[in-house]
Amino acid sequence: MLEHYSAQDDAASPDSAVASTTWTDIPAADAAFTEGWMRRFAASVRATEAQLTALDQQVGDGDFGTNLRSGLDASVRALDRAGTVSPAAGGRAGAPLRTVATVFLDGVGGTSGPLFGLLLTELALAAVGPVLDVAALRAGLTGGLAAVQRVGEARPGDKTLVDALYPACEALRVCPEQAGSRVALAHASRAAWEGVRLTARLRARRGRASYVGERGRGVPDPGAVGVGLLLSSAGGVVTGLPSFVPGPVPRRPD
Amino acid sequence: MVYFTNSLDRMVPDALAGFARVHADLVVHDEAAGFFRARHPAPGRRVAIVSGGGSGHEPLHLGFLGAGMLDAVCPGQLMASPHNRQVFDASRAVSRGAGVLHLVKNYTGDRINFGIAAERLAHEGIDCARVLIDDDLASDSPESATGRRGTGAAVLVEKVLGAAADTGLGLRELADIGTELVGRCRSLAVASAAHRTPATGRSAFDLAEGDLEWGVGIHGERARRTETRPALDELVTRMTEELLAALEPPAGDSVIALVNGLGGVTRLELYGVARQLAARLDRWGLVLERVLVGDFVTALDMRGFSLTLMRADPETVKWFDAPAHTPSWPR
Repeated sequence: MLEHYSAQDDAASPDSAVASTTWTDIPAADAAFTEGWMRRFAASVRATEAQLTALDQQVGDGDFGTNLRSGLDASVRALDRAGTVSPAAGGRAGAPLRTVATVFLDGVGGTSGPLFGLLLTELALAAVGPVLDVAALRAGLTGGLAAVQRVGEARPGDKTLVDALYPACEALRVCPEQAGSRVALAHASRAAWEGVRLTARLRARRGRASYVGERGRGVPDPGAVGVGLLLSSAGGVVTGLPSFVPGPVPRRPD
Repeated sequence: MVYFTNSLDRMVPDALAGFARVHADLVVHDEAAGFFRARHPAPGRRVAIVSGGGSGHEPLHLGFLGAGMLDAVCPGQLMASPHNRQVFDASRAVSRGAGVLHLVKNYTGDRINFGIAAERLAHEGIDCARVLIDDDLASDSPESATGRRGTGAAVLVEKVLGAAADTGLGLRELADIGTELVGRCRSLAVASAAHRTPATGRSAFDLAEGDLEWGVGIHGERARRTETRPALDELVTRMTEELLAALEPPAGDSVIALVNGLGGVTRLELYGVARQLAARLDRWGLVLERVLVGDFVTALDMRGFSLTLMRADPETVKWFDAPAHTPSWPR
């Protein structure tokens, strides 16, 4: 399903992440990890902006990729200004997430951008300790899903970012604590992309895509793709969208 | 450019700056944060009331900012929802510790942006509730997930709820009163010509001479029905009866009415509308307690008008009559 994926880090694809790493050796998911995650998310969106734009032009007003990219560029600048606080010095794993969340809530236009801000706020609020463990990740992502649903009033099946977030939360629900949050994120990411794939079959009932109705069938929801990029970026930079996402960018040679 | 403005980009900010200057005795403009707040809110009020929405509907909502009505208003760009940050900052600025009530017209963008602001307020420990204004009968459809649009009732709800808040009621009580109040309001709008879109100067939609758009919105969205325009009395009669069929007030009940110009009709015409509305309500045996006639919720320069009816008990009438000191409340 993710054969089209390519990545700079060896762990970008959830499948390879699970298969190729000895998880007991890997460092804890501290503030350095969450900061790196957010920077990789920015890099992933920069790499796929043209594809995101092409996607949103088919079902929305075409500004999703640009809004997301400009929000993440501003987020990277905010992370540069904030600097990393080591766990030893009391750095919370959620601090970089909170920095990015505030940029999204305050500065990003459209409706999807601020909804990503809400999601990251809930993740940040759950990650109050020095390490983002599986319980915090689960609580944060589930809290984020609840907040996005409260505000956007979308249910699974409405063809919105909820369709990627909901299966990701389900994957976390059954993920054991001992797996560690990096493995848990890989599982969540795989579930999210499966959700993205299914949105292509749906007719939008909420959000901007609802206005194009049947014409949007066959095209996955851009917001859901954004959730897939967010979660996959925990493991590495995503340099191309999966092949089931239509777009003008030619398929890369394998 | 058919409109009198320096440029499309300056249309809204120039108007906001002018409004701030002209009404400096009543309102304070936080230009950086993008909201206005009342300079002299009523002392008895504990819960702050915040509203807002796209520009192009003036005097809504800014005209109803001040003692007795709204505590803060967040204007958006032309016919676009305000940003969640404006609502968040405005709500924090006017919160008095007993919570903030958001009055939100039922449009997706407004719902989402006020909703995000409410989430952020909750994280700061500020209690927040919402009254959703969805009075437009023409968008009442069982197939739609988005529900009825919010239009003329916004003015009546802002007035009545503002007076209720001035009695010192709490957040939940006010939210309940507001929701119940909206349920007692229905509106219907017609147009003989669409507004001109500032970006293009052209009509938002074309309507042949002598045709009528029945159930038009306030953003240039087309109505479900276009028909040959009947004579005024017949038109107003049909609109009134459609509203009464939805509200089902028993004979002897009291109503408050709003005869609202959409931006491009004259008072001369609106009073003609009001005459026939009053006559029909008399025929139904209803008591027309109060009527407002004028431009309250406009759609730029649309040639059309809307009727809003609110079933009113004695307390509602009392709150409607309570003094208010805002730029545009007429009484």
